[in-house]
Amino acid sequence: MSQKVDPQLRPTTRPPRPVDKRMRLKESGTVAAWVMLAPALIFLVVCSIYPFLWIFRYVLYNYDGIPAHTRFTGMRNLNTMMADTKFWGSVVTTFQYAFWKLIFIIPIALIMAVLLNQKLRGSSFFRGVYFMPTVISSSISGMIFTFIFATGNGVLNGILQACGLIGVPVGWLTDPKVAMAAVIIMSVWAGFGNYMLYFVTGMTSISEDVYESSRIDGANGIQTFFYITLPMLAPVLKVVLMLAITGAFKDYEAIMVLTNGGPGSSTNVMFLYIYNLIFGTGSNAARQIGYGALLSLVAAVIVGAVTIVYNIVAKKLDDVV
Amino acid sequence: MKHRIGLAMALVMTFLAVFALVPAMAEKTVITYWSNDRHDEAYMKEMIDKFNASHEDIEINMVIMTDDFENSILLAYDGGTAPDLIGQSVTLKNMVDYQAVVDLTPYIKADEEYQKVNDPFNHAYEGLNAMGESIYWVPSGMRSGVRIEYNKSLLAASGFDGIPATLDEYIAMAKKMTEDGAKNNPVTYGIGFTSSSPFERQLEMMAQVSGIYYYDYVNGKFDFSGYKPILEKGRELVKYAYPDQQGVDNMRAQFAAGSFALWGNASQEAGVFTNQFPITDFEWGVSPVPSLDGEIKGALQTNPNKGYLMMSSCKNKDAAWEVIKYFQSEEFLKGYLEGGYTMPITAYMDERIDKSKLGRMADFSLLEYESVYPAVPAVNLMGDDYRTVLWNAIMGYVDIDEAINDLNTRYNSAYDDDISFGSVKCLVIEDYNPLTPSAGTVTWLDK
Repeated sequence: MSQKVDPQLRPTTRPPRPVDKRMRLKESGTVAAWVMLAPALIFLVVCSIYPFLWIFRYVLYNYDGIPAHTRFTGMRNLNTMMADTKFWGSVVTTFQYAFWKLIFIIPIALIMAVLLNQKLRGSSFFRGVYFMPTVISSSISGMIFTFIFATGNGVLNGILQACGLIGVPVGWLTDPKVAMAAVIIMSVWAGFGNYMLYFVTGMTSISEDVYESSRIDGANGIQTFFYITLPMLAPVLKVVLMLAITGAFKDYEAIMVLTNGGPGSSTNVMFLYIYNLIFGTGSNAARQIGYGALLSLVAAVIVGAVTIVYNIVAKKLDDVV
Repeated sequence: MKHRIGLAMALVMTFLAVFALVPAMAEKTVITYWSNDRHDEAYMKEMIDKFNASHEDIEINMVIMTDDFENSILLAYDGGTAPDLIGQSVTLKNMVDYQAVVDLTPYIKADEEYQKVNDPFNHAYEGLNAMGESIYWVPSGMRSGVRIEYNKSLLAASGFDGIPATLDEYIAMAKKMTEDGAKNNPVTYGIGFTSSSPFERQLEMMAQVSGIYYYDYVNGKFDFSGYKPILEKGRELVKYAYPDQQGVDNMRAQFAAGSFALWGNASQEAGVFTNQFPITDFEWGVSPVPSLDGEIKGALQTNPNKGYLMMSSCKNKDAAWEVIKYFQSEEFLKGYLEGGYTMPITAYMDERIDKSKLGRMADFSLLEYESVYPAVPAVNLMGDDYRTVLWNAIMGYVDIDEAINDLNTRYNSAYDDDISFGSVKCLVIEDYNPLTPSAGTVTWLDK
């Protein structure tokens, strides 16, 4: 049996008036959000996505930048990569570099941040001094350290010899066994100020009341650091670690100036190898844009995988803590 | 009100006057020239100022680029901002394949004065400045082959008065000077190497004069096996070297400061050790490089230089040619050569310069066995070039035999690929003589 429905109560199927949709969009802030996102999105598309797609198409080509020389080579770049011991060597070198850099840079940045957060006299000055290397260009840092690490007339060997710590000058930049140490010293010097600043900022958000309570409970400095500062800095530490890991894997500019990957291939990190391939500089006889494009993708996958692994580990640690 | 009208009229008149002047000023065609030479900057600027002051129709704008010269040019060419003229420090084949440069032959043929001064048809080197019948740049001079520059005081202190003829004796000399130098304060060394192409600056040239070269012209293939004895002796030589291999200017400064006794480089060092790092505390000598057994079995490579290429994107080609003509005129070249910026390449200019003004450049005069080698085909090589690999072998970073096998494989594989693709042809000179490398009959094969 059919039931009569009052037409006024029947649900309307008529679409809302355009003016209502516009009003809703306006009120929800969607338009404003897109307008504000637009510059960043345009830059992302133009400067990151388009170049990525541009270079991606050359993965299957032998391309040196000259159209007349371009030829389709199918899987050849991939086969070359699999057999390219220098590239895989550079991947190993990158992991070594990142490991040693992180081992030193994070603790140093954290310790310096704790010390400078003590509100001692002159701490602002030292904060500026330690941050200064961050604003110096990588190439200039590389040049400065070339003079510091010079074997014959370098500042470092001079000091070490004057202190009686070494008898024979160390070949910081010429001995494959120690060149990586030189590179890491430079990169730690250049980068720790930045991370230190993140930690200092994180520490300022920790309430003074917490420290006061711990003092009343009789906690000493070390206990305060491990039981108050460090746990409460965990979110900042997580972000800093992620930035440090991705940054360490992508470093190459200062290394290029300091050692150019040498001696031999002892400091040849993967992005330096790729840079030299694509731009035909360093020791490469010809530009290898197609092959370099493939290696760029592989390097991006490696860095991405490391970041994902770190995030998983960090999440598990969060759950445990 | 009258004042306002008067002011307005004065403004209008001023604008009209300015705009009337603009076309007159714009009539001067600006020819932009990119160079990567820094050693001759003062002379070039002086002569360009002179040209600009005396020409109402053309103005030269010289820009000195630093590194990555070829890449910068190609990027500018792609972006529509390429200069009109560029210096010759580029790979000719790449520029021609890119259709970025102009064949200058028609201009040259139409200009007898230019031919008289520059002798372009006798200085057309296949693959270097010419391809087939087309000439793309003409050298104004040449850089000598590598010489050994030496510190006479350090040599004398170890009982030497000159550079020996054999590599073994040269190594023994470096060893003795390093041993003696250990007693000095500061310590001095027998020899120094730079990080910038160290193999090229001494040992490669010793190999050349010993008849060893990396391209087998007779059979049309790369062959690095001849370098083995040079690499073995090189391993011994580097033991007695200054402990750092820094950039070339740093090492020049060390040589000028007396830190080591033996240094290898070409004729540009005449200007370097006279002006850039003037040597005042000791006398320095210049000597030919030694060979493996003391005999000269191959030519020492010289490099024609200071040429100018015209970009195909140049909108005022006739004006650009006028600028090239000026740069390679007798008046310009006389001052350039007498200034010691390069060495004369033509008999005509050689006769016209005052050799008493050459200074230390005279020590780098051409040897009878110096010559231009036919340009080896530029292959699309994957990985390190031969100079890097061979130097790594000398330094002990890689095994010598492995290095040679690797180079033979990679270079010939890239060469075969390029030939099959058609981007290069196989260069063969059946009657090749290493003592006169440019005298043979060049054949290009599609094999």
